[in-house]
Amino acid sequence: MLAYVIRRVLIMIPMAVAISFLIYLGLDATPGDAVSFMLSPEQMSGANPERLAELRQALGLDQPLFVRYFIWLWGLLQGNFGYTLTGGVPISDLLARRLPATLELAAVALVLSTVFGSILGIISALRRGSATDNTLTVVGMVGVSIPEFFFGLVAITVFALNLGWLPVGGRSMPQYITFWDRLPHLVMPSLVLSIMMTAGVMRYARAAMLDALNKDFIKTARSKGLPEWRVNLLHGFRVALTPVVVLIGFRLPALIGGSVIVEQVFQWPGVGSLFVLSVRNQDYPVVMAVALISVVTVLVVSVVIDVLTAIIDPRVRLGN
Amino acid sequence: MTTTTQLPVDDIALSVRDLKTFFYTNKRCNKAVNGVSFEIRKGKTLCIVGESGCGKSVTASAIMQLLPTLSRIEEGEIIYHSERGDIRLDTLERNGKAMRSIRGSEIAMIFQDPMTALNPVFTIGFQIAENLRYHTALRGRQLMDKAIDLLRSMGIPAPERRVEQFPHQFSGGMRQRAMIAMAMACNPKILIADEPTTALDVTIQAQIFELMATLKREHGTAIMLITHDMGVVAELADDVAVMYMGNIVEAGTVDEVLRRPSHPYTRALLDSVPVLGRGKNQDIRAIPGSTPDPFNRPKGCQFADRCAYRLDACELALPAETQLSPTHRVRCVRHEEFANGVRS
Repeated sequence: MLAYVIRRVLIMIPMAVAISFLIYLGLDATPGDAVSFMLSPEQMSGANPERLAELRQALGLDQPLFVRYFIWLWGLLQGNFGYTLTGGVPISDLLARRLPATLELAAVALVLSTVFGSILGIISALRRGSATDNTLTVVGMVGVSIPEFFFGLVAITVFALNLGWLPVGGRSMPQYITFWDRLPHLVMPSLVLSIMMTAGVMRYARAAMLDALNKDFIKTARSKGLPEWRVNLLHGFRVALTPVVVLIGFRLPALIGGSVIVEQVFQWPGVGSLFVLSVRNQDYPVVMAVALISVVTVLVVSVVIDVLTAIIDPRVRLGN
Repeated sequence: MTTTTQLPVDDIALSVRDLKTFFYTNKRCNKAVNGVSFEIRKGKTLCIVGESGCGKSVTASAIMQLLPTLSRIEEGEIIYHSERGDIRLDTLERNGKAMRSIRGSEIAMIFQDPMTALNPVFTIGFQIAENLRYHTALRGRQLMDKAIDLLRSMGIPAPERRVEQFPHQFSGGMRQRAMIAMAMACNPKILIADEPTTALDVTIQAQIFELMATLKREHGTAIMLITHDMGVVAELADDVAVMYMGNIVEAGTVDEVLRRPSHPYTRALLDSVPVLGRGKNQDIRAIPGSTPDPFNRPKGCQFADRCAYRLDACELALPAETQLSPTHRVRCVRHEEFANGVRS
């Protein structure tokens, strides 16, 4: 088991390097460079070419691509993401402020959607063909089909503007001290963020559960005289769990990506809104840093999922 | 129609009387089991023979109340003659407490494909212990010790190690042994085996049947063995029931049915078995045609269309059961002539 985990982590490293290079390459291919973003077109056209070359040299832009990439990578490994072009703020400081907000949102949404998605999926599968099942199926369809910003706007209109129960947006206020003070701010964004994933998990859990319940070993379990809850939940859901865990793993990046929209709608000061802001400002070191963080998240999550499936399913663990 | 043989009641472990089990799909009704009666004698093996779709597995599922939701027991009685008195299994709630306390402890079942009948995510030990936990007073460490004992008695080497392994680490034959260990965990009175060796190769088949014969001898377990293999019947059976399209067409002791087959279908089945030693040019007579559409059955004898001895009378109504001896019965219009050697 330990060897398996180590192997998976080692495979991750070259992948991370390769992807970081692709990100670097992609940004390098965009027209213009840092200098052209720093100066307005008027300044650019009137500027002294020697001054521009000096500026490029100062920023290290005259070096070949590979050298620039490795300088950037070396900095990353030391925790130095560089500085924003728009304000000269260290990007690591920016991330240290923004990342916890995004993780908080994603974690709450993940827990909610996993718990509710699984429970509703199981109920739906066990009451297959009933009114409950049909209702849940329709709700699930609606859930995965309607985009998050729509849910977000409706939620703001109803709960914040009309009913006045919850704040419109933001994450914190100066007078807030504990997590519980901030809780009202967290309710709407996390619920909206989890809607789509809950619906997805539910549909998947239902299908996986139905599949598992049709297997021969369910009949075997019943033939042993086990009570129904044990047959369904232990023998059925335990087997259905593997595909559900894999799905949740693959949806995690989407959760972080989805938070870009939700963070915009609710003015949540996370990495998502930072990403939108920096793309708009063509602040490429920030865009790169955020993209890199998403990539690393995906890689780490995929390793975690592999390890989890190995724990759940002995056939994976024992290399069959 | 119900025929009961004149056996002393003490000898009988389970009686099925005029059982009808129908499946409902798309508002159509498949009379999968259409009036079946038989008895399983204590400590004896009853083989139920017949081709695919004849209702033999449905009969087994009906006894265990493990029928799919779209099917139900329409008529008839399933009586389990337990030590506490007779229990009408067909009237018990499907997954109710009374039924569950009998399942796995007094009547156990093993299935066709040990590959899929064991849960892949739990250890063999866990799956055996589960049975013990719900039907015995054993707890904790005792459960695993008992599971190890059971595996050992099924001839599985190194049971201490095996008990902690998962089904995919077992070979097919070992898995079926583990399956039998699980079924035998609570020393059941009746073991229902639904084609237990169909998924296994021939040498393993022989080993599994040997194991089952030992269990019958040592524990006095009554076995209901479902098969389509006449060789297995000759080897293991005490009693035989031949099923065709939801009816028992012939039943009796193994001697009666194999030596004096009185139904054309039984004889056709026997004729279609290749015999070792007769060489490759031996005359194996396959049964012509195929089974009728279950939704559009013939009115009379279900086998009439494929029968070499068919008369017009065969198609009028399902032939009644005739008692040839206290144990031997047959459903054929021409059974008398047939017994006297009529060949066409």
